[in-house]
Amino acid sequence: MVQQPSLLIVDDEANVALTLQMVFERDGYAVRIANSCASALKLLENGHRFDAVITDLNMEKENIGLEVARAALRLDPKPAVVLCTGYASVDNSAAALQMKVDYLATKPVDLDELKRAVRRLMGFRGQSEQE
Amino acid sequence: MSESIKTTKAALIVHSDMGVLSAFQSSFVSKGYVAILARDLPTALLALTQHFFDVAVISSQLAEGGDGWPLAGVVHLIFPKAFVGVLTPETNVLTLQAAINNGVTQIFDVAANPDHIVNASLSSQPTTKTSLETGTSVQ
Repeated sequence: MVQQPSLLIVDDEANVALTLQMVFERDGYAVRIANSCASALKLLENGHRFDAVITDLNMEKENIGLEVARAALRLDPKPAVVLCTGYASVDNSAAALQMKVDYLATKPVDLDELKRAVRRLMGFRGQSEQE
Repeated sequence: MSESIKTTKAALIVHSDMGVLSAFQSSFVSKGYVAILARDLPTALLALTQHFFDVAVISSQLAEGGDGWPLAGVVHLIFPKAFVGVLTPETNVLTLQAAINNGVTQIFDVAANPDHIVNASLSSQPTTKTSLETGTSVQ
């Protein structure tokens, strides 16, 4: 049996999170939603395994999505980590680069591009971990 | 293949300016690396088919603005553990986004000292014995 790829979507705007959930579930992903950094951290720290994490940047606080990314990037195996933001700045983008975030998407997000990036990154992660 | 060849690390340097290439070449060779130089995209792609690279330093502008980014992405896909540095004329959100989305390790200002960039790239490398057998290949 082929296992569904698992995806965590973190966004404090419920409509955005639900839309992304619908889009990715239609593509065969098992999607969990977190509507805050705090609930995302709970999921990540309680042993839930995700193949990819897509997180908003500004939620409870500015740039708090970087905390979600940091927690996700500490996991082993590492999920692919995608930041989505409408407020990219030199500071938060430089922080994301330094943390080795896998993808930075700017809002409004091109859904096809986002789906392609997630698919590619998950394949790439799997391949490089086998090496 | 002799032991010395297997342990020698290789750096790919891609820049349209021969003077810049030469400065990077001297710096990498002095650190025990083999330096493979390319002045354009086709030569860089050819080099990627013929060598294993531990480090790549690529100008974001080869023939035209921004064409170095996808090359950096290709290097990252082929050698996921390699340090990939890109030289950019300015640091803004778009260049940082291009760096993240192409798997670049670090970006540097085009005017930065090559020795500084080489040291930064080597400090991110796992320390292994490098051979004295080093050289340079200009393609």
